[in-house]
Amino acid sequence: MLDLGRYEEASTLLARLVSAEPGSGRAWCLFARAHLGADRFTEAVEAANRAAAIEPAEEWPHRLASNALMHLGHHGEALRAAAESRRLAPSYWQTHVCVAQAALAAGQPAIAAAAAAEARKLAPNEPDVHFLSGKVALARGDLDGARSHQERALALDPAHSGAMNELGRIRLRRHDTAGAIRHFINAARTTPGEHIYSRNIDVVIVRSVSRMISIFVYVALILLWIPTVTRVGALPLGAGFATLALATLGTLAVMLARLPREARQLARTTVLSHRVTAALAIVFCGVAAAYATVAFMPSDELPQTLLIAFFITIIARVAATARLRSPLDPTYPGNRTSPTQPLPPTRRR
Amino acid sequence: MPGVTPPVMLGIMDHGYLEARSRDGIVLTVAAWEKPAIGIDRAARDHSVGRGRTHSRNGRMEPEPLLDSLRNAVAAMPDDVPLRLHLAMMLLRAGQRDEAVRHLGAVLQRDPGNAEAMRMLTSPAEVSGPPASPPADVDGSAERVHGSASPAPGSIPAQDGAGAHRDRERNDDGSDANHGDPGHGDPGHGDAGHGADTGYDWSQAEDELRDVLPAMFVGGDAGSVSAGLDEARAYDAEHTGLTLADVAGLDEVKKRLEAAFLAPMRNPELRKLYGKSLRGGLLLYGPPGCGKTFIARAVAGELGARFITVSFADLIDMFVGRSERNIHELFEVARRNSPCVVFLDEVDAIGQKRSQLRNTPMRSAVNQLLLELDDVASDNTGVFLLAATNHPWDVDSALRRPGRFDRTLLVLPPDGPAREGVFRYHLRERPVAGIDLARLSRLTDGYSGADIAHVCETAAERALLDSVRRGEPRLIGQADLEAAVGEVRPSLGTWFETARNVALFANEGGAYDDLVAYLRKRRLI
Repeated sequence: MLDLGRYEEASTLLARLVSAEPGSGRAWCLFARAHLGADRFTEAVEAANRAAAIEPAEEWPHRLASNALMHLGHHGEALRAAAESRRLAPSYWQTHVCVAQAALAAGQPAIAAAAAAEARKLAPNEPDVHFLSGKVALARGDLDGARSHQERALALDPAHSGAMNELGRIRLRRHDTAGAIRHFINAARTTPGEHIYSRNIDVVIVRSVSRMISIFVYVALILLWIPTVTRVGALPLGAGFATLALATLGTLAVMLARLPREARQLARTTVLSHRVTAALAIVFCGVAAAYATVAFMPSDELPQTLLIAFFITIIARVAATARLRSPLDPTYPGNRTSPTQPLPPTRRR
Repeated sequence: MPGVTPPVMLGIMDHGYLEARSRDGIVLTVAAWEKPAIGIDRAARDHSVGRGRTHSRNGRMEPEPLLDSLRNAVAAMPDDVPLRLHLAMMLLRAGQRDEAVRHLGAVLQRDPGNAEAMRMLTSPAEVSGPPASPPADVDGSAERVHGSASPAPGSIPAQDGAGAHRDRERNDDGSDANHGDPGHGDPGHGDAGHGADTGYDWSQAEDELRDVLPAMFVGGDAGSVSAGLDEARAYDAEHTGLTLADVAGLDEVKKRLEAAFLAPMRNPELRKLYGKSLRGGLLLYGPPGCGKTFIARAVAGELGARFITVSFADLIDMFVGRSERNIHELFEVARRNSPCVVFLDEVDAIGQKRSQLRNTPMRSAVNQLLLELDDVASDNTGVFLLAATNHPWDVDSALRRPGRFDRTLLVLPPDGPAREGVFRYHLRERPVAGIDLARLSRLTDGYSGADIAHVCETAAERALLDSVRRGEPRLIGQADLEAAVGEVRPSLGTWFETARNVALFANEGGAYDDLVAYLRKRRLI
């Protein structure tokens, strides 16, 4: 059941097992693992602690507790539990990986790097060891090192969707949007049940739109100075705004066209979604209002008007960005779990 | 009443008032022979007035008004299992065994693992008094976890609900050998001496209740269990009694079934003429709770074949080698009972991608399944294969190869007529009035059958609570159902998000074109 990811059924069976054999540390460990898989982290910690009390020399309970504590946000305790598991079984690569994970979550990349290096010495052919090493390297800003670790993980396990996802993240750091999307697509294709990969594609698209909006707003702000200097009329100003808006939309279209084929459908859906169209509408209307303010005010009042126009433009930018980000908030109201409505983000198992 | 062992959650007071608790713990008082306090049904109440008392076989007098009141209460709350159990017990005491058995059957329908109902069906001695010996260990689940080779005599394990078929463990001798032999060691039947005290005819009770649970083996002797065969793995090959006409709506699915599966099966001459092969099975996939199992049963009914349904928990065993044996035995039973439809529920768990399985025994089980499928394909003795899964993308690709489960059928959430049918089904035994099924169907677009069942349950709870507040029952109305629709969220979102990923990124071979078409129609991609 655990191997198949059927954690609820496993929990039911294991609950009976620990009732029948409360003195079995292994049973409690399995129970903790089932709780972990079902995202019941508090229960997982309790079960792991029971196992540790029964078998104090066993490392597994501490590792399970560390994992659960990490998810609960208790990073200090997680690191202590991981260190205890390593102390009990220093020759197990899993304990070093556990320390590395906990240290990374606790914001201690140096400790994480040392633990990951030790894990690589013990298990050079374990894909998960290289996967974690890549994450540690990325956290330290070593993009090349991160890439080589993830590629090694993929060489050992070509279906390692986590490594594919990390390669996508590395590409994003290098501002290679298309490359990042390609990796996220591979990850989503390998493990379609893991929703985070397709959400990462969504995030990339939305970030690109957000960047486009930022550029549009900055250029619009700069161009707003022109009437102050040249005293042009409303018509040229309006034409300038229209040109800027069309250029922005055209750039967006070109960006979508350059995406991999599999991502174009998703990108089209994302761009045409309610939140993105609303954000674009807010920013275009805001900037249009700012330009209209400048165009139709008397020229002797231009300096004051310009300040108002800047203010309107910046407010529009902030509102548009907030609108773009809002559906990624898990508490967004109205997110019914229906095939016709946007979905809240799911937590990775 | 002296000597009575009150059943769970119910008690009888000396002055004749029956105190019952509904499932949500609310206390209802049903008067035995006065006007019912909750005023359930005026007609039934009037009918019960003036009835005399009846005598049970054990000499106790069971007042008919009490039984009538209980019947009325059960009719008002048909899903209240403890109440129904108590009524069954009272009926057994009153000698009305047929009706008692009917109610016990209804309890088991609603709660297949109900130990009390099973005990009453097999141990009539316990109805009228405390057991003479420790009760049978009806919870055999601990045995199943440890995988014991033989059951305790007379034990009937509780159902874990994981699969559709029921585990039945029997005495090696069958019930015949136990008849009239209290020393046989079956604690469930109790001692003859205990029965003699009350004058109750246990032999007759056993005879009358025997047919409820038919003997597994006829004329068997001790040790007749097949060597090496775990007798818990008895696969019931049954006739479903359903056809596709019983499936409301889903016309597209029915058309596809007819074309891909049923028409070739029913017309062997035409099949030969057009060279249509019967090899391979049909894989039903779709979101959870949308009727895949029900459709599979209807297909079996259409073919006039027996139906064996198994799921992951029925086949997979913790001991090495047993899973493979279970799979082999399943197909042997299917061949012996042909024509037979074998339905593998949750086939993604039984046949998951071996690359995703770290557990070697599970991989061996998948290999065994592949072998059996090949055997069936080459030796087509009237065994038809159906499978269902919520995650076809997790099924090992070898299982999807031609000759195995090479045909797929997407079973989508119920359409309008299907949703109306589901509402009708779940409201048929409930007190309803003025229900606009068409409107409810429109409001529940995107809901699965299980979601609609949940809506009906929620509406019934609303009406029940309102009845308790008011002190008199009322009918479930349209407002209750519409409020329930507002509360119950459809559960298919997660599945569709995964399906969207598959449609966008993992459909190179076109295996999921029908899914892509549906998602496009719903504007999900």
